[in-house]
Amino acid sequence: MRSLHLLPNPFFFNSFHSKTLTSPIPNPKFLPKSPSFTPIKSVLQWNRKPELAGDTPRVVVITSGKGGVGKTTTTANVGISLARLGFSVVAIDADVGLRNLDLLLGLENRVNYTVVEVLNGDCRLDQALVRDKRWSNFELLCISKPRSKLPIGFGGKALVWLVDALKARQEGCPDFIIIDCPAGIDAGFITAITPANEAILVTTPDITSLRDADRVTGLLECDGIRDIKMMVNRVRTDMIKGEDMMSVLDVQEMLGLALLGVIPEDSEVIRSTNRGYPLVLNKPPTLAGLAFEQAAWRLVEQDSMTAVMVEEEPKKRGFFSFFGG
Amino acid sequence: MAPNWTLQLHSLSFQPYVWVRKPPALSAISQLGIGSKWDGIRYGHLNCNSDRSRIGGNFVVKSGEGSASTDSGGNVEGDEIVLKSGTGSVASEDYIGKMQEMIISSPPGVFLMNKCTRNGLAIGFCVVTACLAIVARVYLMRKSRNSHSGSVADLVRRGQLRSDRRGISKPLKYNDPFNNPLVKVDKSNSSVEMCGKVYRLAPVTLTKEEQNIHQKRRSRAYQWKRPTMFLKEGDSIPPDVDPDTIRWIPANHPFATTASDIDEDLAQNNVYQKHGVPFRIQAEHEALQRKLEALQSDQKLNNLFIDPGSVKEFERPFKSKSKSDEQVEQSSSDHQTGESKPPNSFGGQSSSDEAQKS
Repeated sequence: MRSLHLLPNPFFFNSFHSKTLTSPIPNPKFLPKSPSFTPIKSVLQWNRKPELAGDTPRVVVITSGKGGVGKTTTTANVGISLARLGFSVVAIDADVGLRNLDLLLGLENRVNYTVVEVLNGDCRLDQALVRDKRWSNFELLCISKPRSKLPIGFGGKALVWLVDALKARQEGCPDFIIIDCPAGIDAGFITAITPANEAILVTTPDITSLRDADRVTGLLECDGIRDIKMMVNRVRTDMIKGEDMMSVLDVQEMLGLALLGVIPEDSEVIRSTNRGYPLVLNKPPTLAGLAFEQAAWRLVEQDSMTAVMVEEEPKKRGFFSFFGG
Repeated sequence: MAPNWTLQLHSLSFQPYVWVRKPPALSAISQLGIGSKWDGIRYGHLNCNSDRSRIGGNFVVKSGEGSASTDSGGNVEGDEIVLKSGTGSVASEDYIGKMQEMIISSPPGVFLMNKCTRNGLAIGFCVVTACLAIVARVYLMRKSRNSHSGSVADLVRRGQLRSDRRGISKPLKYNDPFNNPLVKVDKSNSSVEMCGKVYRLAPVTLTKEEQNIHQKRRSRAYQWKRPTMFLKEGDSIPPDVDPDTIRWIPANHPFATTASDIDEDLAQNNVYQKHGVPFRIQAEHEALQRKLEALQSDQKLNNLFIDPGSVKEFERPFKSKSKSDEQVEQSSSDHQTGESKPPNSFGGQSSSDEAQKS
């Protein structure tokens, strides 16, 4: 388990109750003294590569239900983070009508062929894969061009064929196939979730997004996808502190899903989108970029968060802080 | 050639204010060295211009007020006193001496002169130091330019290559996004510092039991079967298909269509194809090849019947352009007359190829 990993604590796990920001945070200092209580202790394993769990390729669909919550941003950043960690990644932009993943990755000028051309026999699959020059183990595959219609007569079978074809590639099976799902629960959604065996549900801490997320989670579970983790995006700790925004623990209580990551609101997201340069490649790293990297790490290890950031604290100043220390 | 000096004296009671145009030359004023080069000095109403070197040795003192307050004996012509110093007369020496005294007695100018002379060394030192610094900088720049000539760094410097987008990917500085200079968890695990901000941590309280409860709730709330068949509105449902698994796609759907000009097996083969020419490209190529063969066979037949003019072409397969143009014209005329000879030149070339084969 990664950072912020708390040892199984019977006190926390046996007493599930609503945690709002008004409720006292279970700081170990203020926890009741009980014989079963063990102080929170991290089991950190520094400076190692994440261990890939599960069978490859891991086919992960990133979905949300509601639009504009950050599915494509999550796909781009998690995908690039996985590539940086040394795993081969194929990102499929299954957002048929509103394709944007190529823009976020800065690969929009390199997409010549899509899956539609592959199906029609205009090109081979390897010709439709766009390899990122920054990280050569990251490839992008777009489903269709913006103004063309996807023949969905085959349903999601086309994506299943794609996954099978990627498995049988000469250069080896990719470790991760990440599918960027379109918003809604339309034909595009059905097509996108077909080959997936795990899902990342992206949501924001607002009630409209949560309702859609709950519905989509239900559909995914009905489809047989059981491994669903959520990422709470655009979290503002200042608003949580003022009780203007639901906390991550509130969101988790409503959805009942394991947490893969919490992404704070960051203005750098818009800048990175404008540049076509994923956030995780920023130097120096940004807050949201670090959170995406941590989420990617947990995804590799099929891990989930055991502690979340709730609010910002004033930084403790040292003795020499007056002198700029 | 001695300069002609003109002194215009409005009054001899000189005011102490001084406007110095060229401070280094002030030292010369005190001596009034004749023949020295200065551009011009205005001292009160005193004008001394070396440019006016018209008459050798003439020294003209002008009194602006008309009251000749010069108490020396000299030629008085109205308001103007002209002293001829070229002959080295005593009167001119007196005047020069007085003027020297007058100038020396004016303290600000003297101070300026003295200061300038004292600071001269410092200024010179500064100038020399600046020159040395410039020379050293130019030398270092040339040296650094020569040392990096032709490297990829030059491309980055010229803007041809972005340093952050280079194909050579740099490895991560750290392997662990949880332990790096920007992310630090405190010892008690109650707070984490990320990007200079400290956040309080709270443990996640979701249990497996609660996850199962939520799953059951959702399975009750959402009964859904993933559609496996997509039909256009108006199509009839196949008899052995569950109606729940049918998705109806409107005819005017913005990005999805049920119509496809390619069947399922073919599409699957296309996806699985690893090598060679893609299906449609090959099909188009074969169709074109067939058409070409048909055209060639037609031309072969035509060559059997009408080709007396192209015998020479058979002898020379690499015909000149003019001939090919002629043949194009001829073939087009033939085509217009209703014969099925190919209208372009590659028919002729293919016929020549065939002739080579035969």
